This record gives sequence, structure tokens and C-alpha cells, in this order.
Amino acid sequence: MSNLPPGFREPSVEGEFEEYYLNMGPQHPSTHGALRLVIRLTGETIIEVVPHLGYIHRGMEKQAENLGYTQYIMMSDRQDYLTAIQNNLGVCLALEKGAGIGVPERAEYIRVIMTELGRIASHLVFYACYGGDLGGQTVLLYGFKEREMIHDIFEEVTGQRLTTNFFRPGGSRMDVPDTFIPRVKAFLAHLEKTLPDYDRLLTKNIALVERSVGVGKLTKEQALAYGCSGPVARASGVNYDVRKNDPYSIYSSLDFNVPVMYNGDCYDRYLIRWQEMYESIKIIKQCIEKFPAGPYRSKEKPNFKLPAGSFYAASETAKGLYGTYVVSTGGANPYRIHTRSPSFSNVSAVNAMAKGEKISDLVTILASIDPVIPEIDR
Amino acid sequence: MGIMNFVPKVLDPVPGGKYVVNMVDYVVNWARANSLWPLTYGTSCCAIEMMSSSMARYDIARFGSEVFRDSPRQADLFIIAGTITEKMAPAVQMLWEQIPGPKYAIAMGACTISGGPFRYDNYSVVRGAEQVIPVDVYIPGCPPRPEALFNGLLKLREKIMKESYRNPWHEGETSKAGEIERWAEASKAWAAAEKIKDEEMAAAREAFKANPPEDYVAYKPVRVAKEAFPDVERPVVTEIGKSYKELYKIAKSVAPELSIFGKEDSSDETLDSLPKDLPLDVVVSKENYLKLVEFLKNDSRTKFEVLTDVVGVDWKDHFDVIAQLLSVEYGHKMFVRVSLPKDESIPEEKRATSLLASIPSLSSLFVGAELKEREVYDLFGIKFEGHPDLRRLFMPEDFVGYPLRKDFTHPHILKKPV
Ligand code: SF4
Repeated sequence: MSNLPPGFREPSVEGEFEEYYLNMGPQHPSTHGALRLVIRLTGETIIEVVPHLGYIHRGMEKQAENLGYTQYIMMSDRQDYLTAIQNNLGVCLALEKGAGIGVPERAEYIRVIMTELGRIASHLVFYACYGGDLGGQTVLLYGFKEREMIHDIFEEVTGQRLTTNFFRPGGSRMDVPDTFIPRVKAFLAHLEKTLPDYDRLLTKNIALVERSVGVGKLTKEQALAYGCSGPVARASGVNYDVRKNDPYSIYSSLDFNVPVMYNGDCYDRYLIRWQEMYESIKIIKQCIEKFPAGPYRSKEKPNFKLPAGSFYAASETAKGLYGTYVVSTGGANPYRIHTRSPSFSNVSAVNAMAKGEKISDLVTILASIDPVIPEIDR
Repeated sequence: MGIMNFVPKVLDPVPGGKYVVNMVDYVVNWARANSLWPLTYGTSCCAIEMMSSSMARYDIARFGSEVFRDSPRQADLFIIAGTITEKMAPAVQMLWEQIPGPKYAIAMGACTISGGPFRYDNYSVVRGAEQVIPVDVYIPGCPPRPEALFNGLLKLREKIMKESYRNPWHEGETSKAGEIERWAEASKAWAAAEKIKDEEMAAAREAFKANPPEDYVAYKPVRVAKEAFPDVERPVVTEIGKSYKELYKIAKSVAPELSIFGKEDSSDETLDSLPKDLPLDVVVSKENYLKLVEFLKNDSRTKFEVLTDVVGVDWKDHFDVIAQLLSVEYGHKMFVRVSLPKDESIPEEKRATSLLASIPSLSSLFVGAELKEREVYDLFGIKFEGHPDLRRLFMPEDFVGYPLRKDFTHPHILKKPV
């Protein structure tokens, strides 16, 4: 036991094959960024996986102590850049709670439409990378195609494709253009035509099914113990979605379902994201119907400050529960900001998922978690 | 290259040989410039734009660089997409060394130029890729658009087309000059250029005033009315799951010393007056911490099955460690906070590098607590008793100090000039 490398603790098993270690990352095409895993194997079977983090630790939380409150919104873009717009919202929710600012109706609708578009974009990247990691280059190209259209909308509205930096406490940075609603409508019409095609392209594909059904099982108890959230937890039967169970914005007035699956394997994690995409379309459609006129933000507060105290807001990004914890002492800078990133908890469960699987399944498992590493390391 | 390097030496003296050398150069450069094979490398945000540029819409194949190689030994272009941290820098260097020459590097994004958004007040980011490997082309942007990447690629092509066997590719140098001096120099040059520009502009303005064109009408700025925004009330929210009063009573039965964070008393009125959209935040003693969390987890009335996070706060004279609990079944949340006085027995000069407090670990209750507690240990220097594997998580093992402490200093931090 004692002579194992740091992090490993399973007892050795006497087997046919010798034990050995394999390093994966920090530069590896399927670790989705600078993640390093050290894998202990016997033959091709994984005994244990130990994640080594911090290769993209950028010290955001320390830096935030020298930034203004609203400047941290820019940092949140760079945590999970696939769901940047949802992270913006997560930070703003916490700041609004602290400052006691309300949000006008139109702003709420803008928020929901934009974040749901972001969710679709993120899940499309998941779809593309999942297919790509399993060896289907074609899928990679398709997934990104529709995502670019969403980014066109983002660019028109926010001025940026990726790092949107759009929401502000009390609403958003600017109003949406008049073309916004027609454009979203046209996009949804297009998406509804193409999504089923993509679904057919991959979902029943024999290679995908064989490689992901029953692979990387995570039970409900494990998912809870690791603190998993989002699609990873919901694929293991944890029925928790912040939008439903702790509604923020106008989600309580919208009609949508939270898909839950019970096998907890890679295939369920894949399927659940498909259903979420359809649910997102449903949500956006409802919002478009009711999209109100009016101000896009509430009264601006110059020199945004929070009263002394600590504030917390949770929101649901495409990856799971995104929590922002702000401690203020009344000054112009936050005393401490901490982000609870969903990928962190999800990746910590990789050992539980990969134990006993084959080495090539680890790629599937990682892809099915859909982690974004800068969000873990922050 | 070997033998080819002698081509100019042999052919240049021969009449007409120059043209042969030129032609050989042209053909070789043309081939090289039009099939740059990039390495699949990306650490953060910019990598996604790099991926986008190789996908259907932008299609990097138009520029001959669609063959993203997973192994550095087959690549000849290193697109440094994303922030480089000090922990990652050795890996970047190794990748560069593994690429066989002639090889080129494109620094994509503000982070690889100067550290970008993470330039100031940061202890872990390398400020610019040229500190680590020699760079050929820099692309500004945060992140640069795919078109900008293509522009960079074309710039690199121009550079390659200028190579010759008379002047063959050689590995560039990383920046040896200290970063501060380079920036001081750059800003001096910038200021000089600005001065010249200002003088020229002033002269032009004078000339314009003295002799305006006939149809000139002075510009009158239009004032747009400032938009007035309403004050909006926050919606009324109700507690989710059990009420604060109930939760508090349940918790109090296990830990009699329990109190509400930031409040003097814990009467019913105080509990009623707590904001309903924030979780109940209770302070417990270190001795009862583990017992309380275990009770809250297992009791059927509370069922806090998920530990969403473990957070540390440094209050200068003491630490707070906050276990953030969530019940999936009921939906209620609770923060269990322990206040840890800093160990005063440690001499002044050793305080920055030693663990100043300790607290029982929750890893026996929640497996997921392991990594989260390692984060707090890493960034605050708080010991977790009973943790099975307490190592640094984000910072390298040999990193000195605990970054999120308020008195943390590090030689690599660059203060923002005011
Ligand atoms: S330059 Fe901007 S987008 Fe690119 S890696 Fe740095 S922070 Fe991210």
C-alpha cells in the first residue's frame, strides 16, 4: 500500500497480468483541455484513476479580490467558455441578491432565451465531441455547424461569439436588436429540422451503442456522494434541476420537463442531453410567444457595491449546478468570491465510473462527463 | 536538411546557378507553407475558437492546415491556444521540443501575448508564450475570431516564403529580457510614436482651420436622451423544503452551541427575518462539526445528501470553513460554518508557509469531499484531520505559500499600475 504513487489506494490484486501505470495528459486530444489522469492498470483493465488538476489554474478567485464586482462577470466567461452566458447569469444572480436589485420582465425573457440557446450550443459541442472521441469525425463537423448559428445570434446581441460578458445585475448590458426574435425563430425552425437528422445519425449507431451502453456506470448513491449535478447526475436517477427545484428568473412560470434516466451509463448521459436540447427548444418557444416590450434592465447603480454579508446563488448551466458565493465587507471589491463549478464534482467521480472498465472506455467516460477543465481549476 | 544546405554554396558561384537556388527555395517554401500541420493542443477558451476554425463553417482546410496531429512528432505548427500556467509551462516546452524542425509557433490570444486578462495580480499565469517557447506570429484577441487565426496563418506563410537555403530555418529564441524591461521599452517607444502623431495631428488641424474647404459645415453633436430605467422590486420568495426554524431546531438538538452567522441571537423573530433566498448559515464548533453534518445527512427530516462545496474564507484573524449542503429530495440548503482561530504558536517568519488551522475532514461522509477539501488545503493552508490523501490540488507540490490567504505574496505577482 505504502509504495503506491500518490493518490492510489486500492490493494494490489494478484492476477494474470502485471500492474502498470499510464499517464494521460495534460496534453491529450481527448482530455478536453489540460487535464491529467494517472491510470493504474492490469492488462487492459483499469484499477484506479487519479486526476491531477491545476494545469490551467489561473487564480481567478484571488484576482477577483482586486476587481470590482461586475468585473468578475468577465472572469466567469473564461471558466466554462461553452456555457459562458449561463455563468454570467449565475454571477449576476448572486450580485442581485446581495444588492437587492430586481429585474424587469423583458430582461428576464432575454436571459432565459439566451441561456437556453447557450445550453443547446453546449450540448451540441458535447454531441460533436462525443462522436469525435468515439472516432466519428463527421459528427464533429455537424455538431459545430448549428452551434455556429447560435454564435451568430450571440454575436449580434452581445458583440462576442464566445466570451459574451452580457448580463449585468438588474438586466443585461444592452437591449437585444429588433432582429433578435425573428432570428431566433428562424433558427429554431432550422434546428427542429436538423436535430432529428443528427439524432438518427449517431444515436442508434452500432459503434456508439456498443461502446457506451453499460459503460462507466455511476449509481445514484455515488452520484450524490460525489456531489455530481446536471446531466451526469440526472442520468443516474437524481431528479434535481435548479431550474425546477430552486427556480430562478422566470423558470417557475415556464412549462418544461426535467428528463431523468436511471442506468447511469455513458449512453444515458448521452441521451439525456438530447432530451434537454428538445426541452430547451420548448422553453425558448414559450418565451418568444410572450416576449414583452419594456426596459431591458433596472436602474443602474454607479459604483456597484454590496452591503456587508455573504450571498449565494445557484443556477443550472449545461454542466450542472453552478454556484456563486460572494463575501462582501461593504467595499468596492469583493472580499472573496468562490465559484462552485459543476465539472469539478463531475470529474471527481471519474474514478468511480472507470473502475473495472477497459482503458479505451476511459475516453468514452470522459467525453460523457463533458468536462471543461478551466472551470475545474478556475 | 543536411545536403541541401550545400546547394547555395555549390550553385551560387556557377553562372545562372542563383536562379536554380531561387527556384529550389521557392518550391520547398511553397510546399512547406501550404501544408502546415498543427498540433492538437489547447488549454482553454482560445482552443474552442481554434476548433471552430477547423470545422464546417470556417474550414481551415482551405489553408492546408486541416491535419490536426495528436502527436507532436508529426506536427510542424504549434498553435498555442489558451493560457499557459506555470504548472503547464514545462509540458508546453516539452511539446515544442518534440516537434521536429522546421517548426513554427503561433501565439493565439491575449493570454499568450501578455497574460491577457490574467496579467495583473496573478500568481500562476505565465505572461506570454515567448517566455516559454519562441513564437513566430502573435494573434491578438480574447479569443481571436477564426478569421483572425487564418490571418495569422497567412502571415506565417509569408514568413516561410522568405526562407531560403542561404538563410535556412533556425530555432528562434525565447525572450531573455526581463518582462518588465521589455514592457518599459515598448511603452517608451509607444509614447514617442504617440508624441509624433499628436504633433502631426495638431499641425494638420491648424492647417485645416487656416484654410477650410468651402463646403465645410462644423459638426454638431446630437444628444441622445439618457434612457431612464425603473427601480424593480425583487419578487417575494418562499423557503424551499423545510423552513429555517425547523432546520435550525433540528440542528440545534445535536449541537447546542449552534448560532446563526452574523446574528447576535437565534430567536424565532431573527429566524423569520432571515432573507429567504439565501441558505440558512449556521456556525458550529469544531468539535461538533462532523457530528452535525453526519446527523444532517442521515436524518430523514433533513436528508442533506449532497455536499455541493467546501469553501474557505480568510478573515485575517481566523478562517471560516463552510460546508455547503443540499438536499436533493426536499430542495433545502444549509451552510455549516466553522470558525477556526489561527494557530498563534507558530513564529512570525514561518506563518506564511505553515498550516495555521485544522478541522475534521468530511471525506468519511462524502467521497466527493476529498477533492474539495484538498482545494481548501491547497489555497488556504488548513489541515483536514482524517483526510486520506491530503496533497496540493491545483498548485505544484513545491509551491510556497497559500494563495488565497489575505497576506499572501509571491514574487511572480505583478501589481497593476495605477
Ligand atoms: S486570450 Fe482570452 S479567450 Fe484566449 S485563452 Fe486567454 S482568456 Fe481565454
